[in-house]
Amino acid sequence: MTTPPKLPTRLLNSFLRGDLSEEVRGDLEEKFLLDLKTKSVFKAKLNFWYQTLHYLRPFAIKKLKRLRTMNNQLLENYFKISTRNISKHKMISFINVFSLAVGLAACVAIYSFVSDERSFDAFHSKNKNIYRLDEVQKFNGTNEQKVALSMPGMGPALKRDFPEVKNYVRLWLRGKQLITKNDTKHLIDNVIAADSTIFDVFDFPLIQGDINTCLDRPLTILLTESTALKFFKTTSDALNNTILWDGRDYEVTGILKDVPENSHIQFEALLSMVTYTSGENNVNNSWGGNWMTTYLLLESTANIKSMEEKFPAFLSKYMDDPDITTTYKLFLQPFNEVHLASNDIEHDYINYRKFNGSYLTIFYLIAGFILLIAAVNFMNLTTARASHRWKEIGVRKSVGAKKLQLFGQFIFESVMLASIALMVALLLDALLIPFLNDLIGRKLSILPLFQNGWQLTAVLVGTLMLGILTGVYPSFYMTSFDLSRILKGGNRVEGKSVLRSTLVVVQFGLAIAMMVSTLIVIQQLSFMKESDIGFDKDQMLLVNMNNEANEKFETIKKELQKQSMIRGVTASGQRLGNNFHQGGFKVKADTGVLSITPSNVNVDYDYLNVYGIEVKEGRGFSKDNLTDNGRAFVINESFAQELRLKETIGTKAGHDWYHNDSLGTIIGVVKDFNFNSLHYKVNTLAMVVHPEWGYQELSVKIEKGRTGEGIAAVKKVWDELVPSFPFDYTFLDAHFEEVYRSDKQMSAVVAIMAGLSILISCIGLFGLAAITIEKKTKEIGVRKVLGATEGQITVLLSRNFAMLIVIAFLIVSPITYYALHRWLESFAYRININLLLFVLGGALALVIGLLTISYHTLRSARSNPVKALRYE
Amino acid sequence: MIETKLGEFEEVILLLTGILGEEAYAFRIAEEFESQTGRSVSIGAVHSTLTRLEEKGFLKSEMGKSTAERGGRRKRIYTITAYGKKTLTAARDFKQALWNQFPGFAIRMDGIIGFTG
Repeated sequence: MTTPPKLPTRLLNSFLRGDLSEEVRGDLEEKFLLDLKTKSVFKAKLNFWYQTLHYLRPFAIKKLKRLRTMNNQLLENYFKISTRNISKHKMISFINVFSLAVGLAACVAIYSFVSDERSFDAFHSKNKNIYRLDEVQKFNGTNEQKVALSMPGMGPALKRDFPEVKNYVRLWLRGKQLITKNDTKHLIDNVIAADSTIFDVFDFPLIQGDINTCLDRPLTILLTESTALKFFKTTSDALNNTILWDGRDYEVTGILKDVPENSHIQFEALLSMVTYTSGENNVNNSWGGNWMTTYLLLESTANIKSMEEKFPAFLSKYMDDPDITTTYKLFLQPFNEVHLASNDIEHDYINYRKFNGSYLTIFYLIAGFILLIAAVNFMNLTTARASHRWKEIGVRKSVGAKKLQLFGQFIFESVMLASIALMVALLLDALLIPFLNDLIGRKLSILPLFQNGWQLTAVLVGTLMLGILTGVYPSFYMTSFDLSRILKGGNRVEGKSVLRSTLVVVQFGLAIAMMVSTLIVIQQLSFMKESDIGFDKDQMLLVNMNNEANEKFETIKKELQKQSMIRGVTASGQRLGNNFHQGGFKVKADTGVLSITPSNVNVDYDYLNVYGIEVKEGRGFSKDNLTDNGRAFVINESFAQELRLKETIGTKAGHDWYHNDSLGTIIGVVKDFNFNSLHYKVNTLAMVVHPEWGYQELSVKIEKGRTGEGIAAVKKVWDELVPSFPFDYTFLDAHFEEVYRSDKQMSAVVAIMAGLSILISCIGLFGLAAITIEKKTKEIGVRKVLGATEGQITVLLSRNFAMLIVIAFLIVSPITYYALHRWLESFAYRININLLLFVLGGALALVIGLLTISYHTLRSARSNPVKALRYE
Repeated sequence: MIETKLGEFEEVILLLTGILGEEAYAFRIAEEFESQTGRSVSIGAVHSTLTRLEEKGFLKSEMGKSTAERGGRRKRIYTITAYGKKTLTAARDFKQALWNQFPGFAIRMDGIIGFTG
């Protein structure tokens, strides 16, 4: 092998100046031969490439050929003509650029929203093979539900029984916890107990500590960087030190990097699961209760379907309940779907910023619509204006311009406009995205777009394509004119453009659809906000309780009740706004003991009063009845209906561990109230007073208008009575805002986009009206001379546009109705679609449309016919 | 206007051309540069500089005779012009003049060694 590689040689020949060829090729070959003697063939070849590429210098490159210069001149000419055209018709150019810019800006904003959502959990390298173990639960007497919880025993057993399972990790959410170090006390938001296998499955970066052993021992804890710094000066101080939680010292065996915002699993501290699996109460053997979230790392070859088919046998193996396979169905949810496709999953507590992924599809659609509306403007205005450029086209053709060259000119123009629009769009986004962020509570930014090469390329290519696509039709249209007809000039018959009208119909159809949708979506959301959910969620202050607060609950309550602005004080085991935990329950009917699994909640005596929950039958809890402590139940209507007893009140009932002889009594039935979000139907519910179980939260009802005072008063009492736990509060309505966040953000985006689409449509219509009415100047003049009134002419001019909007309305209404109907089906409690809203939307579009063109219609109707009819 | 100042790299190339004499063509100069300075350089970079030096009038060149090696291709042999020699001498004299004005050379060397060491 003594000749240089062929490819670089060919490359060299392609760019090297002819007169240098001999010496350079000689030099390079000599170098190559020398290299072959001293180095490997590969290295010699590599060096040959290097030397070749280093000849890419101005002195050595062939001079550009004539052809290239000609192309440059052509482009220069295109550029010149385009700039002239753009600056000559300022209004039309402005409309074109503005509508495209708004459209593109909307798309970029939507894109950054969507990509922010899609970026969730992407940082885990094995995420394609991780699955979350979910359950479908069908308990007797309760709605079927999908839950993100599983039993502690499942993880280890699955790993034993299924060869596909490489590893498992269980997370047990311990929630907000008070952690102390000497005098430093902090409430830590998310404490999670995790198996030591967490680092085999996930990629949460550990900064300090041994990744292989840090969670291997009981009573060890990992802190995130910022949590560690709350208690210690440096993270190194924290390492191997201890912190106190729940009366026990935990050794800090590692420091984790703070969990990124786009992780659905959020925590500030990780406890070792071994703390709970060693010793007597080994939770690894715990079956029956579902209170952990299990993630499985599977072999990449694992067949999910066949695994799921084996799950019923798996359940029967470990639990000897004959009904187990009907009450529980296990399924595997791909890890990447947890953030965006868990909307129908309840008891989903480890799912930060859970979002309804199907809304992203809606967002994409809307982005497409907006862009389409903007593109329509461009096509319509360009073709409508074609007659203004006939002379230009005619002259170019007669001088010898080929069709392709004319075509190129028009495409170039539209690409240029699109590029200008892109710049304006990015500017708009840079200015307006902060406002959008305020509105929807996000941290969106267009900066990532510029940091990511292929995304930026996609945007640029997209804009280029947009320019070309919108340019194609007008270019065809304009270059298709017959030369002789154009140059004759006088006969400007253009005919009606069916396509142009169709495009206007499409444009307004989309705008109307989006407007009507906005109205309905807003109506549904306000329905959820204002509908009677059966309890009072306003002005309700919720305070996190610990043991001491529970011990002193009665004193706290008494102290608080003395305050004039406090209307009521109560407590409960779980917060309203999501499903309550379900538990076994039995009811002694005439036919025998019924076993049922309703939602359960532990409440204080006056819970029903403070929350304004209406008692329909029987009575509520009372402190005066001693048996009301633990032996009395208030159930909801759904539960009563499920039981179908002749006499509900007085029936014996109890939790399923109560002995059949020592059951309590159902003392009352309350009207159904929506303790869960309105996406779900009201479930069967049993309430009980059990002070010794302890309450999670204190609820304080504060008088309207005295909120600040109220908070201060509660804090004062709290700080005096509960020194062991900081005052930590939230408001119930804020919690509900969070529950409906996905829906809210969707409606905000739809509303903004609907506004933009009608705006773009209207400025397009404005431009179109200007052009078409200008063409009719002579006709109007003649009509006026013959006696037509201003009114008649206005009607005449508006009629066509009005027709288009009406047609758009008729076409789009049924489609919109269907789409909205589908959306509303995702709510168990929903509004009926009011057809009047459609009429309202249509009428609104019509009025806005006519108002837009009225500037032109009125002006031409009022103009002096002499001006119109005078020649030259 | 042609730039007539001499850069460091240009100066070295010019000197090497003089040293190599009949053997002064791009490849040889590049090899010599690498062996003398220990710095690597591409033939293209050397060639480009040679062309520039020729434009400035420091060098002239002509194609040599064809030889059996390198596929019978001829080499372009560069030779220094009188003007080139003059410029080289001027550059050396200029630096020498600067060195003569530089008092604490030895001390400074110590200083530098002390600093980097």
